[in-house]
Amino acid sequence: MSDTTVPVASQVGHRSLLEPDALLKKRRRKESWFKMLGLGAVMTGLFFLVVLIASIVYNGIPAFTQTYVTVPVTLPADKLDKTGNRNASEMRKVSTFGYRPLIEQALIDTLADQGISSPFEDGGDLADLLSDGAAADVRERVLRNTDLVGKTVEFDLLASSRIDGYYKGRVDRVSVERGMVLTPAHLDVADALHERGLIERRFNLEFITGADASDNRPEQAGVGVSLLGSLFMILVVVALAVPIGVAAAVYLEEFAPQNRFTDLIEVNISNLAAVPSIVFGILGLAAFIQFANLPQSAPLVGGLVLTLMSLPQIIIPARAALKAVPPSIRQAALGIGASRNQMVFQHVLPLAMPGILTGVIISLAQALGETAPLLLIGMVGYIASNYPEGFLDGFVSPNSALPAQIYEWSKRADPAFYERAWGGIIVLLVFMLAVNILAVVLRRRFERRW
Amino acid sequence: MDAMAHTDQISMPGSAPLTEANEVKIAARGVDVFYGKNHAIKNVDVDIEDKTVTAFIGPSGCGKSTFLRCLNRMNDTIDIARVEGDILLDGEDIYDKRVDPVQLRARVGMVFQKPNPFPKSIYDNVAYGPRIHGLTRNKAELDDIVEASLRRAALWDEAKDRLKESGTGMSGGQQQRLCIARAVATQPEVLLMDEPCSALDPIATAQIEELIDELRQNFCVVIVTHSMQQAARVSQKTAFFHLGEMVEYGDTEKIFNSPEDKRTESYITGRIG
Repeated sequence: MSDTTVPVASQVGHRSLLEPDALLKKRRRKESWFKMLGLGAVMTGLFFLVVLIASIVYNGIPAFTQTYVTVPVTLPADKLDKTGNRNASEMRKVSTFGYRPLIEQALIDTLADQGISSPFEDGGDLADLLSDGAAADVRERVLRNTDLVGKTVEFDLLASSRIDGYYKGRVDRVSVERGMVLTPAHLDVADALHERGLIERRFNLEFITGADASDNRPEQAGVGVSLLGSLFMILVVVALAVPIGVAAAVYLEEFAPQNRFTDLIEVNISNLAAVPSIVFGILGLAAFIQFANLPQSAPLVGGLVLTLMSLPQIIIPARAALKAVPPSIRQAALGIGASRNQMVFQHVLPLAMPGILTGVIISLAQALGETAPLLLIGMVGYIASNYPEGFLDGFVSPNSALPAQIYEWSKRADPAFYERAWGGIIVLLVFMLAVNILAVVLRRRFERRW
Repeated sequence: MDAMAHTDQISMPGSAPLTEANEVKIAARGVDVFYGKNHAIKNVDVDIEDKTVTAFIGPSGCGKSTFLRCLNRMNDTIDIARVEGDILLDGEDIYDKRVDPVQLRARVGMVFQKPNPFPKSIYDNVAYGPRIHGLTRNKAELDDIVEASLRRAALWDEAKDRLKESGTGMSGGQQQRLCIARAVATQPEVLLMDEPCSALDPIATAQIEELIDELRQNFCVVIVTHSMQQAARVSQKTAFFHLGEMVEYGDTEKIFNSPEDKRTESYITGRIG
């Protein structure tokens, strides 16, 4: 055996396994190319996601803090409560204008106490440091607690949006000089107060719970009411779109005969899924408000419009989920004498539930973020300025929705609103995440092996 | 394993004695089945006897499963399927307009090729049929039916401690016996089995075959099988299907030892199929 030489692969006509041939090299090259391409695509997506989240957080987080000025305000009984019996409904006669001088005086006194020199002789100029809504806040608190009258009480008053912007880096001395409202002297006073701890930035719960405010009070604007509007709309969508959508899917998939009519329905449902949402808005305006005379700007109508929009998005994946249930389960049920109804509702539907819920989650998320159709039925952002009076009222009283509120703020001139628009986006995303987590938990509960 | 020993004492597979002249349970006369334009079953006449295992054999696509599925009207669920001719169960036409297939299927149970337990507990799997057909008045009765059915399917010893566990967590053979228990629980008269062992390993197959032999005492069993050995082992009557026709029907022994038709002989000796 030692004499014989082992034949080399190439000599016998076989190619050696040790060196790949040209074609194989080409195939491998293609493969690695595609891998790189895929990785690149994923990385690009990831990059943009990071940029998106970073910019949302960077721009939106400031909306969650607000600058307050702490001053002791003297509440003279002779001005606020002329009858002297501390009756809130009597005291209501004193409007916010009655409170303004008190605040102005409080500012002047505070500066004198703290030894801060100020060029302002008129308290009104000084009060530009504060929000236009500060007087109203003081009045609200006094009316809630009439015992405060006659005392000197420490108030945390909202600073004006410019002062707030100054501490958030949005406003600087140069831009103040160019503007009409504040002067650099205001900033000097503010800095002095800040040094003494009387101007402070702190967490702003008002942004989450509050209502929208008018154009000149961005510091008071909050998403609370429009968040509630979104919630009421989602309730309507869940109550209507989910049962109708699932029932339609079950009927079409399990019971409907295969004929031209059902084919037509099928095509139409698929087409509806591709209709721009604004079309549903105009449909809602015509059908629900002009024809059915439902109230304008009501979350009920918004919910109905979003229901129409969500239906195809629920029906299509629900049908796919029903179709995906293995035929063996259907046969098993029919084979022991289950009726079609029993087969569908006791076996097929439970098994399709996770898939159906996935479609529901996606369509709800979409409905939650929808803006355009809401604007057409009057759910514009500035409507969201009052809380509804009760649960049922929440469906019919004029309101907006979170995305419409964000859109509204992004349109307004004051950059303080722009910051709030970003903040609103954070709230919207968190709200969406909460709804989705709830839905995913539900889906998990339905998930079963077979 | 315990179950196996138990059944061994009763009868060995293959040694099943031929039953003499049982009464006819199902009578088919001139049955034709069409799938759209495809003529799947051609003019089949057959008398299936009670308390007997009848095997349908034949090459793939010969129509044996299709014919089996006519017997409990499972073909109704296929839109394009059309059945002509008469199939009589105890003398009543099961394709009569007044017959509700749901009621028929309670009397003619079915076990499928692939074990298909519901993704529910073992108990609920077996109890499902009695529940929907209202066979029991209370929990105790239901418990009894579940136990009796599982015993009949030779599954009680393995399942009694895990009745609350999912039926899909069992082995393939156990799952198929669970499906048999489920079918038996509705107290049918006829049990149709569509290649019940084709997805199982040899040991599980042997268990099912023994079980089929036992079931014969209470039911009319019709089994479709690809395996001629299986047909020979478990059945007393055999029908040979070829290209949609029923070529030959008779005692299993006769079909396997002295077939009359050439095609039957060719199939049995392995020349066609």
